[in-house]
Amino acid sequence: MDLPVQEFRTKAEQELLDLYERSADALPGSAAIAAMRQSAIRTYAGLGLPHRRVEAWKYTDLRGRIDEIPPLLAEADVQVGESELEAALGKAVLALPAYRIVLAAGEFRGDLSDVGALRDEGVELGSLAQMLEQPPAWLAAGLDAAATRDDDVVIALNTALMTAGLALRLPKGVTLQKPIHLIHLDAPGVPGSIYTRNALVAEEGASATVLESFGTLGTRGGEAQGVQRNAVTTVSLGPKAALHHIKLQREALETIHLNVWTANIGAEARYNAFQVSLGAALARNQVYVRFEGEGAATDVSGATLARGTQHCDTTLVVEHNVPACESRELFKLVLNDEARGVFQGKIVVAKDAQKTDGKQMSQALLLSERAEFDSKPELEIYADDVVCGHGATSGQIDEELLFYLRARGLPEAEARALLIQAFVGEVFEALDDETIADALTAVSAEWLGTPGE
Amino acid sequence: MLEIKNLHAKVDGREILKGLDLTVPAGEVHAIMGPNGSGKSTLSYVLAGKEDYEVTDGTITWKGESLLDMEPEERAAAGVFLAFQYPMEIPGVATMTFLRSAVNAVRKARGQEEFSTPDFLRTVKEKAQLLKIDMEMLRRPLNVGFSGGEKKRNEILQMSLLEPDLCILDETDSGLDIDALRIVSEGVNALRSPERSMLVITHYQRLLNYIVPDKVHVLSKGRVARSGGPELALELEKSGYADYGQDEASAA
Repeated sequence: MDLPVQEFRTKAEQELLDLYERSADALPGSAAIAAMRQSAIRTYAGLGLPHRRVEAWKYTDLRGRIDEIPPLLAEADVQVGESELEAALGKAVLALPAYRIVLAAGEFRGDLSDVGALRDEGVELGSLAQMLEQPPAWLAAGLDAAATRDDDVVIALNTALMTAGLALRLPKGVTLQKPIHLIHLDAPGVPGSIYTRNALVAEEGASATVLESFGTLGTRGGEAQGVQRNAVTTVSLGPKAALHHIKLQREALETIHLNVWTANIGAEARYNAFQVSLGAALARNQVYVRFEGEGAATDVSGATLARGTQHCDTTLVVEHNVPACESRELFKLVLNDEARGVFQGKIVVAKDAQKTDGKQMSQALLLSERAEFDSKPELEIYADDVVCGHGATSGQIDEELLFYLRARGLPEAEARALLIQAFVGEVFEALDDETIADALTAVSAEWLGTPGE
Repeated sequence: MLEIKNLHAKVDGREILKGLDLTVPAGEVHAIMGPNGSGKSTLSYVLAGKEDYEVTDGTITWKGESLLDMEPEERAAAGVFLAFQYPMEIPGVATMTFLRSAVNAVRKARGQEEFSTPDFLRTVKEKAQLLKIDMEMLRRPLNVGFSGGEKKRNEILQMSLLEPDLCILDETDSGLDIDALRIVSEGVNALRSPERSMLVITHYQRLLNYIVPDKVHVLSKGRVARSGGPELALELEKSGYADYGQDEASAA
């Protein structure tokens, strides 16, 4: 293959090219898809893995953190029972009433998924791998939307190597009463690379809640697992459509987790994204929102809880390309030990996007003197009649509040946990669905060591 | 019984309490009055165990045990309660959740059974009613957006729920209008009992019309300058604190 020249390649960078070379023939999809993969791997070959001198990756040195590339995971018969699911995701989340779709060990598990029940509601859906053989127009559009952003290495690699995933279309006016729970699992004790691609389309007036949860099926013989996950979900919302897109990531502490959500939003549509990150050694969460029709709104919020040497990076880009759209971003981070939290939020307002209303806030609570929070807000405004703002704070637990609680009899550890929970709690108010908010609050309370409500 | 002997305490390296002696027998209500900077609030914080208040000399004995050796939460379990002059606002913690955590923590430490949810709700409802506290208010985040009067009533509600036997009221009257003052005082008076000691700290005599003390102590420059009956408060109301001076460092 004729590749663009990159001056120097690390072992892992070369292994990614090798992985593609080895796997290309077996990867699913039509000839057009194969060509798309080919083009994406070329893009990757030119860029390499991002490192600190790449502005968008200033605080997350992916090249430095990845030493080798495990083989693609594809095990169709991994045992996934209720007890495995509960161990991976927690009781509270699993108990949520939802249509379930399971992706495990790089495979779409139709046997564990409520495909039929969703079809009965008028939803078109299927395994991405199968649909790539003859992609319907709406899926092709989703793939193209991702391809236009392949200057993003995570997306380029995903396009080149995507295997399993969910492709789902909500036809005009379809409203789901229950959330869809898209469960991402790895394989027990097996190192591997997982490249998942999901495409979600909500046509005019359709609405749904999609919860994507990421968990680990456990280690085998106590050995470090070494999963590298790359998951991309493309979202397309027609006029007046609404999608609540929620994520819970609680993968093993050895996992490298790379995740991108791209959303193209039509007129008067609403896209609410909410992400809770607890797991992984290194996690990079990217959310790209692009307004394509007037009068639309988005809220991108979430919480990061990290300890030990965990590194969690949330990078958001909201593009106001049309007038009169509203964007809200609120992220809270709780960082203990030597954990590092990163928040990068960019709001771009195009020249004609008057009456844009964009606000962004990130707040970190540092529980240790060695924890670190890096925040980089960016406003790029080319219109003149807009309201945009951003803010970032970081601080420690307020000793006055702590004393107040202790004077009321709460032991110090419990008082601290209550204050941390209170700090994080504000962000969960962004969730409209109270049952989901309660379940995610319970997960975070468990992390903090406090009893839930 | 609370027994304070020769108490010296520093804040930010400055000595505020300079040899304070005070004894409050069980069942008695003692008022602590005095000019600004005389050490009234410092005394309350030292009793509750605030970290940045450094005791350099003296003893505090509460029911035969040394209070100074206890953590703030241990003091709460031992029956010490400070009603704060400025109650803290904690966004994100519902008042009810806070009350329940506090009550159960104290009950657990005292070897009592934790309240069941219905028992707890019933108890809160009963006590809140006496203080004219709306249950809706208790669903709001702790003290956030509460008026001055609501905050103080919330303090007294906590006091009645935690069933302390040493109640320290730090300028509970500050910022209260006359109606709120009456409600708060009634709440406090309802808690008076032969087992319960109270230390009522106030700058003004007004509060003592409602909560009539057994004894009044005047603090000046970190010590008790004078002690007497309730009539001492009336005298101070007329003559002011001129005779007791201001602590030079805090006169500003």
